[in-house]
Amino acid sequence: MRLKGAEILIEELIKQGVDTVFGYPGGQVLDIYDELYKASEKINHVITAHEQGACHAADGYARATGKTGVVIATSGPGATNLVTGIANAYLDSVPLVAITGNVSINALGRDSFQEVDIVGITQPVVKHNFMVRHVQELEQTIKEAFLIANSGRKGPVLIDIPKSVQTDLCEYGIAVVPRMPDKPKVPYMKEKVLEAIRNCQRPFIYCGGGVISANAENEVLELSHRLDAPVGLSMMGRTALPDSYEYNLGMCGMHGQYAATKAQAECDLMLAVGVRFSDRATGDIDEYTRKCTVIHIDIDKAEFGKNVNSDFCLQGDVKAILQDLLSELKGVRHQEWRNEVEEFKKVVIPDRPGEFCPKNIISAVRKHVNDTTVVATDVGQHQMWTVQFYDFEAPRTLLTSGGLGTMGYGLGAAIGGCIGSGRKRTVLFTSDGSFGMNLNELCTVVSQDLPITVVILNNNVLGMVRQWQGIFYNERYSQTTLNRKTNYAALADAFGAKGFTASSLEELEKILTETDTGDTGSYVIDCHIDPDEKVLPMIPPGKSIKNIILKD
Amino acid sequence: MEERFIIDLWVNNRFGVLNRITGLYSKRGYNIETIHAGPTDIPGVTKIEIVSTGDDYMRTQVISQLEKLYDIRKVDLRTEMMED
Repeated sequence: MRLKGAEILIEELIKQGVDTVFGYPGGQVLDIYDELYKASEKINHVITAHEQGACHAADGYARATGKTGVVIATSGPGATNLVTGIANAYLDSVPLVAITGNVSINALGRDSFQEVDIVGITQPVVKHNFMVRHVQELEQTIKEAFLIANSGRKGPVLIDIPKSVQTDLCEYGIAVVPRMPDKPKVPYMKEKVLEAIRNCQRPFIYCGGGVISANAENEVLELSHRLDAPVGLSMMGRTALPDSYEYNLGMCGMHGQYAATKAQAECDLMLAVGVRFSDRATGDIDEYTRKCTVIHIDIDKAEFGKNVNSDFCLQGDVKAILQDLLSELKGVRHQEWRNEVEEFKKVVIPDRPGEFCPKNIISAVRKHVNDTTVVATDVGQHQMWTVQFYDFEAPRTLLTSGGLGTMGYGLGAAIGGCIGSGRKRTVLFTSDGSFGMNLNELCTVVSQDLPITVVILNNNVLGMVRQWQGIFYNERYSQTTLNRKTNYAALADAFGAKGFTASSLEELEKILTETDTGDTGSYVIDCHIDPDEKVLPMIPPGKSIKNIILKD
Repeated sequence: MEERFIIDLWVNNRFGVLNRITGLYSKRGYNIETIHAGPTDIPGVTKIEIVSTGDDYMRTQVISQLEKLYDIRKVDLRTEMMED
């Protein structure tokens, strides 16, 4: 069967199980969009306001569903607009396939209109990328791209397809099924690891995003029960365990819960599962593991010893390794350790005066949604508050930019997450700073008729940067006071959504009741909060729990 | 302790593969002193030899990051002594 390159692409996407793609058409992807038009019953294409929004949407879709997200953009500016989204997916290990058009093969390298070397530009932030130079390579390349994106440690893959490859004819259905090349692995030191686990008195499980990628949530929970070990989470590991589980201490690290970070500092054995020991999570590396033996379980060999020198490294699929370890471990109790951890939990962060604070706003919103509601955030103070105060119960319900810290990620991610969850009510917690970066995607929310509630924690400042200026720069608030006069409620109305403004809990409750309309209706709720609200606790960068700041 | 070392790579001879390899070094601020590439007996496979200087941490990181590249088939840290 001889097909055009563009037809091969669409046929192969369908074969890969893709039913939703995000993107933006343009000159060098006209042939692809022509085929999408013909295949519109099989593939739903979501047009966004900007390619960055499309890329974040594909990322949000992937995080919410576990499937590979797909984004399509044209050459030149279309492709460069994807870069932030691709880097974001790379740092959080999100499976993503980005497809870009490019100028025809014979026009490459001539500074043609809308030509950029997107393979070169994205190379440091992709798991792999391809430029397809002959239509004969296309089918095989797409198969490989999907395999690479969603196997091992997941990540983004870019395929650059010149216009001439899209229009050339080739036989389809001839590519072979690819497999990932074998690479050397760390030897599996099971007996020594089991011995270390059996000998410990104060075990602690540190659970990261790898647990969610591997669907190993039940295994971690079982391990916690079996070892009587408290669990602390990295931000990417948030949602791996339900917050209602009594030995889930919450997030560790710079803005983590006191009990989680303290237990991590006081344990004698840390089982680090699917984590990469980000500097935001560890602080002072020497102090971090001073008292404990570290067992690091991860699929990526390069993570071993990258930031923390572990005593034992177990390389492989987290789920399979945990199942194997569990088969050898009996249940134990560590009552003394449990008592200590209970004491850690008693350290509470004093509330600032005023009831219309982030904690109460987030809790009020939580009461109006379900355990399975997908929640997206942008980046900054509101993100930390959401991770601290929102009760997550189900995996994959939090879409947040961890590694790259991309302000402007949230609305695109919420769009992708909402579509991925079957167009169920989705919540975005954002701030005036982050929302201002990509609020143009409100038009996508409305055009797609998506049940998204945007909650803006509006403090009229760039809160997180301001907080650092307050603590480390003697309150010199350089360029963080925004003084914008944006009326977000009117803005939402102008986009065709429905906008509200709240200045008290009572007002917010009334709005939440009015907007509690199930899976229809797009809303923006602008909540005016105190610019001096801080994210606490806080461990200053490069410091340890000894330097923790608990109150303002 | 900083030491010179040689890494031998067997890679798929696809365009851009050299960029990916040198990118891993430059991203971390590591310097390459000598690089040499040539064909092998295996069709489509090129052998690349890289000389650089670094400590234990750098050497381990470079090797495990190189091993992750899709187009790299094999990474060998050459064990023979370096001659100046």
